[in-house]
Parts: sequence; structure tokens; C-alpha cells
Amino acid sequence: MTFTRRNFLKSTAVAGVAGSVGFPHIWIKDSGAAWAANGEIKVGVLFSLTGTTAVVEKSMHNATMMAIDEINAAGGINGMKLTAIVEDPASDPATFADKSNKLVLNDKCVSVFGSYTSASRKAVLPVFEKRKNLYWYPTLYEGRECSKNVMYTGAVPNQQQKEFIPWLVKTFGKKFYLIGSNYIYPKEENNVCKILLKELGGEVVGEEYVPLGHSEFGSVLNKFRETKPDVIFSTVVGDSVIALHKQYKAAGFSPDKMPMASLTTSEVEIAAMGGEYAAGHFTSAPYFMGHQSKENEVFVENYRKRFGKESVTHFVSEAAYFQMHLFRKAVEKIGKGDITPIAVRDATAGLEIMAPQGKVKVDGDNLHCYLWPKIGQAQADGQFKVIQQSSDWVKPEPYWAYPGQSCTKDGLKGA
Amino acid sequence: MDIFFGQLFTGLSIASILLLVALGLAIIYGAMGVINLAHGEFVMLGAYGTWFLQSQFGLPLIPCLLLVFFMVAAAGWVVESTVVRFLYHRPLDTILATWGIGIMLQQAVRLSAGAELRYVQTPEFLSGSIDIAGVGIPSYRLFILALTAALLALTWFVIQRTEFGMKLRAVTQNREMASCYGINSARIYSLTFAFGSGLAGLAGALVAPIKSVAPDMGTNFVVDAFMVVVVGGVGSLIGTVVSSGLLGSGTAGIAFLLNDTLAKALVFLAVVVLVRFRPQGLFVDQRRR
Amino acid sequence: MSKSTLSRSKPYAQLAAYLLFCAVILAVPSFVTDAFLLNKFARYLALGLAAAALALSWGYAGILNLGQGVSFGIGAYAIAMHLKLKTSPVHTGSAGLPDFMVWNNLDHLPWFWQPFHSSLFAVAAGILAPVVVALLLGSFMFRARIAGVYVAIITLAMLAVVNLLFIDQQAYTGGFNGITDLAWLEAGSVTFDPYSPAFYYLSAGALSLCLLLGLAFTRSKAGLILQAIRNDADRVRFFGYDVAAYQSLAFAVSAGMAGLAGMLYAMVLEFASPTFMGVPLSLSMVIWAAVGGRGSLLGAAIGAILVNFMQGSLSESFLDTWQLILGGMFILVVVFLPNGLSSLIGILADRLTRPARQTPDTALAALSEAPRAGRTPS
Repeated sequence: MTFTRRNFLKSTAVAGVAGSVGFPHIWIKDSGAAWAANGEIKVGVLFSLTGTTAVVEKSMHNATMMAIDEINAAGGINGMKLTAIVEDPASDPATFADKSNKLVLNDKCVSVFGSYTSASRKAVLPVFEKRKNLYWYPTLYEGRECSKNVMYTGAVPNQQQKEFIPWLVKTFGKKFYLIGSNYIYPKEENNVCKILLKELGGEVVGEEYVPLGHSEFGSVLNKFRETKPDVIFSTVVGDSVIALHKQYKAAGFSPDKMPMASLTTSEVEIAAMGGEYAAGHFTSAPYFMGHQSKENEVFVENYRKRFGKESVTHFVSEAAYFQMHLFRKAVEKIGKGDITPIAVRDATAGLEIMAPQGKVKVDGDNLHCYLWPKIGQAQADGQFKVIQQSSDWVKPEPYWAYPGQSCTKDGLKGA
Repeated sequence: MDIFFGQLFTGLSIASILLLVALGLAIIYGAMGVINLAHGEFVMLGAYGTWFLQSQFGLPLIPCLLLVFFMVAAAGWVVESTVVRFLYHRPLDTILATWGIGIMLQQAVRLSAGAELRYVQTPEFLSGSIDIAGVGIPSYRLFILALTAALLALTWFVIQRTEFGMKLRAVTQNREMASCYGINSARIYSLTFAFGSGLAGLAGALVAPIKSVAPDMGTNFVVDAFMVVVVGGVGSLIGTVVSSGLLGSGTAGIAFLLNDTLAKALVFLAVVVLVRFRPQGLFVDQRRR
Repeated sequence: MSKSTLSRSKPYAQLAAYLLFCAVILAVPSFVTDAFLLNKFARYLALGLAAAALALSWGYAGILNLGQGVSFGIGAYAIAMHLKLKTSPVHTGSAGLPDFMVWNNLDHLPWFWQPFHSSLFAVAAGILAPVVVALLLGSFMFRARIAGVYVAIITLAMLAVVNLLFIDQQAYTGGFNGITDLAWLEAGSVTFDPYSPAFYYLSAGALSLCLLLGLAFTRSKAGLILQAIRNDADRVRFFGYDVAAYQSLAFAVSAGMAGLAGMLYAMVLEFASPTFMGVPLSLSMVIWAAVGGRGSLLGAAIGAILVNFMQGSLSESFLDTWQLILGGMFILVVVFLPNGLSSLIGILADRLTRPARQTPDTALAALSEAPRAGRTPS
């Protein structure tokens, strides 16, 4: 006999002594009723309010809380209020895992909304898979993941790089320097970039990873000087983005000749560094703050009313915002007693919603979102000018760079 | 060639920041034998002071520097007279107590100024670059370099040419004897600690525009600064200068050949080996023998 | 000196205190049934073990190790490597490569990962690898008669080196991500789910065993010689003892215990992270040991458990204020009670048994160690 929790439950129950020994009671409540008790639905909000990626995650936290308040102000979901349980994982993956265990096991949240870096998502993933809970991840990421316990509402490489890299090669040239933060997201995103460049006849003249929170780019800039790339492909994240842009400009480089092309730099980092440092560089994303639509006008106006006239929205906070409304729409479809994380997931698959960027849809198979890719150039006022945009929404293909593999309803196929 | 020059400058630039941060620590450790693990937090206080003066009163960076020096020096004075004073005969315990002070300062800032990252703007006239030998040298880095040199000269002057400096040297060599000659050694120690803390605050104000300002930013500084002081040799200003030069250019050079993470690891490893074979540091203050 | 008198004067009382503590922690699951709470307690016990290990080298041998995270981290990674290999085939196919190796474009398992398929090897490595590292570093330092502050600096620098190397070698260590998605340890027919009483007993058993073995070690001849070295290394050297060997021994035993603590911690969190080797955690361990009492293994362990328990039971909003209070409390302990809270018991006992005698200033007189190399204190 193995001494696992479930077997232990059975054996003690059979013996008729359940509860008298050291038995963990939380497992008794593994039914639907526990997830929406006392007329409230508990959701976890797990964004770093401190540490190196707080610069971005704080705004994601804000957007999430704003959506929760909107939902509650409109009467909640089927009469039940959303209760947000906020934790600060301090930009550290181990703390992310720890806090999500708490949110799932102790607070019994039916879903957790959170995180920016892939390192933190990879850290919490096993928790949600083991505990059969649901994690909502609003950030763009590197793809090559197919979890049935995560809703991915950010872009994957085929929604960012597919148009972007060919455009960069055509406009600026074939020599790329790949600079990223030292963790999984930049590595895998660069894997995809290299596959694309190979097809296009491009060349990687340098590939470098700096620690998260790094702020001394002198040696890296000298390498740019030495290798003379046409494009600097940057997957640097967090406050390092700010240091990199400032030092790039201070070193006398010009974005006309050697622009930085990023998948992560957004309005929020630019607001922190000052528009003049970002002006001229490029970002590929499904949403920019200046997007013209009725939904976006409302979103930006409400956001600024709440968080100040100077505050900005960006493609990650936009996803953090609309995914909460996706959650609302999904829970509305479920009966009160039937709310479980898995039921929420199944109700979300295939769902459509009007987001600030346009109408988005959750793919029924891979649980990623159909999004509207754009290429933007940063301006001195801190906003992006859209250079090119797709005419239709683009289907998410998390295994796009790996032909023969695909993420289906039953998990990864063809690996 | 221009790569070499650019790299040389990067090394110098890193070295100047190291020296800036280590200078105050070198004085405190050298004169008093106190390992001040709250040094990084004084740097952090300086950075926050600058951010506060800039965002609340719109003060430009340069006047901030002077104010911040005195603000942080005052904080240092308070710390010395409430805690450090009781531990002069227990050097290992100063490590612990000052770490505790560091935690308190971090939390105090977190509670009052918030935990989010803050940014300090570079002064307008220093935000560009100057072209030297075909390489764009950031003006602000040059400014830091120049100011570090000036602070070094000032420190040397204070220690070698003023009455306070003379008394400090006397107390450093033999506290009891100096006291017998009527020097108020407790007061000298307080002032020294305040001066060293003020220098740390100044360092914080100067690095604030190139780093993001956060309550926990000090931890990295203090470890780096320590290595500089230990390698340089206790009580030797020249040693501190040379070792920050070595560590800075070493880090920059290895970072160029390999990467920034490995550069730091290898430099620390070199420090370990050096401390093992020459614990007194590269330069020893001869007068004390 | 105070500590040697303490440990010799009331040997039975001391043993009784240790046994009582072990009995208490082993009895906890009979009263606490909440799995989440048990998991938390198991975690505190692991940290308590790390603090006790530190007290062994610091309190008894006078080696202030600011790099306890090296041993703790190596232990954590050793067990994580094994538990990762157990989950790998589930996620990345029959080749069984851990996921982060796939992202870093490795096509086969590195040779030094191979033996970690065996749980026995992993557990042995988690204890013995830190021991070997400590023996090497220890003899490197102590043969040169490095002591006091310089030991603190070297161990701190080593911590930084190891931490940076683990972050840099992403393809082999998971880098900044750490090693995630760990299976549960199995031994015979028992599966150690970190939320089960079984795991709690593992944690409590390990701590109890280490405390009692540690107590025996400090009472042995080697333990007495170490305390003598702490008080005056030169005098012991003149007696003909090999001081460096004894110091290395204490350093290594402490490292082995810290490695075990790291293993438990990685299992309880289901995670191995480079932050285990960060400067803040290692210095926190020093704080815990100092608060509880560096001169007593039990005191240090209780210090760690107490501080973490209080921290864990506070609400998130009060946490910042709490850390402020903790910092202040810590300073007070260092300044006024250098031997930690546990020395209070000794002081009180002295007061009770000899009410008329003078105040026990012995505790305060201890530990005025000077840095051996470099400068002599003025």
C-alpha cells in the first residue's frame, strides 16, 4: 500500500476513523459547492508588486483589480461577488509557486490570475496541474506549452514574430543581434527567431543574455559597436529594459541605423524611462494604447480616472483586463453549484468577447487566444505609431515553429 | 581600436561607481573596524532622497547631491550613536547588528515611499554623449567619473590635512592613547561614521539616474563594496582606488569576452583566492605596524 | 567562558530540553490536521535545521559562515534533480529530458545528471556534496589560519559565486527559473507528499535526529576542542592539536546538516530556486540563529521556527511593519543578549538557584573575537 493522500483517505474511511487521525480536511471539500460558498467567488490575484518586473506587473495588477470592481459594481456574477485575494510574489519564481499553493489550497480560489515572466508561469504550472485548478496568464510568451490548466490570453510567437521578423529583415537588413534576459522566455523566443532568420537568409551576429534586474550594459553596447548588427532583437524584460534604452541613447547610437526590435517593450516601460529614450524603436504586439475603438476609449478613460492622468495601458495590462471579463462570461454560463476550476475552463473554451484591441476568441483546443497583431514604432510622446497591422485576427499556434507538433484538446500531439 | 577604447571606458565607468560606493565603507571599516552591512541601505537612502527631492520639490540633481549628503550623514550619525557605539569591541556582532539596521531602513522606506520602482531623471545637459576617438562616451558617466575623483581628493584632504583627520588617524592607531591626549574619540567615531554614511548617500544620489531605485537595491552594492575594500586593504585609500579599478575593469573585460554573470562570478572567485593568500589586502597601511 | 560552563554544568537538563523539543514536534500531527498548516510547519522545521547547522559552526567553532546557502542550495538541487527526472518522461516524452534542457537545446542528459535517477544517490549527494565542498573550502581557508571577519567575507563571496554560476548555467540547472515541477519522493512503499503527515514526520524526524547527533558531537572530545578553538585558537594550537582539521570538520558537519535542510526545503516547496543561494536567505539564517541563541543548536532551531512561524501567521498587509519590528528586535538581541533568547533560560536558572550571587555578566563577556589576520584591534 502506498501512503498517498487519497489512498490514506480511503483506508481510513473504510476503517471508520476518518477525522480522528492526522487527516487533512481540505480534501473532503473537493466538490463544486466549496468553490462558490457564501455567495462569493474567490479569485487569486498574483502579480509582483515588488522586484524587478514590478514595473510591468503593477499595471497588470491594476487592470485586473479594475475589471473585478467593474464586475462587482454591475452586480457580480449571477448575484455572487468576486473576492480578490491579493498576494505579492516579489518577482521570484519560488515565491510564485509558494503563493499559488496558498491561493489554491488554503484560500480555495477557483481561479488565479497572474504573472508576467515565463519563469513564474513555469513555476506555478505544476501547482495548478497537480491541484486541478486554473491559472489565467495574460502575458505574451514563447509558446511550446500545452497545459490544460492555464488560460493563455497573451500572444504566442506566430502572433508576434511571424510578420515582424520578415518586415525587419526587409526594412533594415539581415544581421541580427539577439539580446535577452537570462531565463527561459528569451531563450525560446530566440530559438523561434533563429528558425525564422534561417529561412529568410538572415544572420545572427551575437546572442547574449543578461541577468534579470541587470543595469550595466556597457560591455553589451560595446559588442553592438563591434558586430554592427542591422537590428537588435531584444527580449530583455523588467527594469533592465529601462537601463538598456537609456544607455543605448547615451552611448550615441541611433534607432535609424540600428533599431531595437522588441516583443516586450510597451507603453509602461516607456513611461518609466521617458519617451525620448524609446523613440524610434519597434515593438510587435496585439494592442497599443492609441488603438482606435469604442471599447479602448472606455478602457483607457476608466483606467486613467482610477490610476491617474499620467498612467498608461499596454498590451499586457489589456489582456489582464479582458481575461477577467472572459472569466465573468464563462462563470455566468455555469450553475451556482457546479462551479469548479475545470468547469470554468470548459466554459471559457471557444468563448468570444469584445476586448479593447477588438474581438478576441479563446481557441477551443489549445486555450490560447485569437489576437490582432500589429507592428508599432515608439514615439517621443510615449505612444506607439502603428506601422502595419493584420487585417484579421490571427489563430494562436503555440507550436508554430515546430512543424508536426500541435496542442490539441487532449494535450500535445506529435512530440 | 575604438572597441578597446570603449571597453576601457566601460571598465573605468564601472570602477568609478564601485569606488564611489566603497569609499564611505573603506573609511568606516578602515578607521573603526566596523563592517557596516547597512552601507547598501545608506546608498539606497541617498537614491530615495534624490527621488524625493526631485519629484516633490522639482530640485535638479546637483543641489540634491549636497542636501542628500547631509541627510544621509545625519542618518548615519543616529545609527552610530544608538547601535554601533555599543559594539566596537565585538566586530563580528557589528555585521549582524548593521544587517538588522539595513532591514529596518529597507522596511521604513518601503512603508513610507512604497515598494514600487522609482526613476530619477538625468539632468538635461548630461543626458547626451561626447564623441571621443570615434566612440560615444555618455556624458553622465564622465560626470560620475569626475565627481568620484573629486570626492576622493576631498576625502584624502579631510583625512590627511584637517584637524579632524589628524585626530581620526590618532584614534585609528590607538584609541586609548588618543583619548589620553584629550581627543574625544567617541565624537570622532560618530563623525567618521556620519561622513562615511554621507558618502554612501552621495553615491546613491549619483547612481540613481542609471539604476532603478527600489528599497532592496542596497544588497548588491554592499557585497560589491565589501569585496573592493577587502581586496584593497583595510585603511588604505590607495588600495581602495586600485582594487575598484581592478575589479571594475576585470568585470568589464570578462563581460565582453564571456557574459556579465560569469564576469561577476569569476571576479568574486578571484577575490576569494586573494583574501586567502593576502587577507591584509593589496595595500597595507604601513604606519600602523 | 559562558557557553562551555553552560553545556557542562547541566548536561541532563540540556538533554531533557532536547528530548522534550523532539517529542513536541513529533506530536504535532496528532493535533494539527490541516494539510496546508502541516506543510508550513514542515517548512519551518527544515529552516530550523539550517539554523541549527549554522549554530554548530558559528556558536561552537566560531566560524561565522555567511554562505550557508551554498550547502543548503546544493542539497536542494541534488534532490530536485532526482525528483525532476521522475517527472520528465511524463512531459517531454520517452527521451526523458527535463523541460528546461529541451528549451536550451540540449539533446541528451548531461553525464552528471545520469546518476540522479537513483533516489539513494540523490539523497547521498545532497548531504555528501556539501560536505566535500565544505572540506575543500574549509581546509583552503583554515590552513592559512583565516579566521573571524575574513571567514565571513570568503564564505559570502563563495555564496555569490555559486549563486551566479547556477543562474548562468541555465541548460544544466534551470538558471533563474530554478527546477520546477518536482515529483514526490518515494521510499519503499511510502510517498512523501509534502502536504501529508508522512512528509511532516520526515522533516521532524530529520531535525530531531540531527539535533541529538549534533548534541552528541558537541559533547564529544572534538566538540570540546572546537569550543576551545573558538575561545583561543592559538592556545589550542600550542597544545599540539591540528586546529585547521578540527575547524574543517565542524564546517563540514554543519554543511552536511545544511544540505539535508536544503533537501527538505526543496521537497516541501516542490521547487529548487537560485534564491536559496541568495545573500538575503543566508543572512536570514544567521539572524534566526542569533535570535534563538548561536551557542545552542536547539536555541538556533527554535529561533528559526519562531521567527518564521510569526512571519507566516501574519497577514500580508502587516508583513512590512513586522519586518521593521523584526529588524529592531534583532538589533536588541545582538546588542544586549549576544547569546540569544535561549541564554535567558540559563540566566533565569542561575538567578533561581543562586539568588544572592552577582548578575551573570558572563554571557556578555563572550565573543569579543578579533579578526586574526590583517589588523589587530586598536
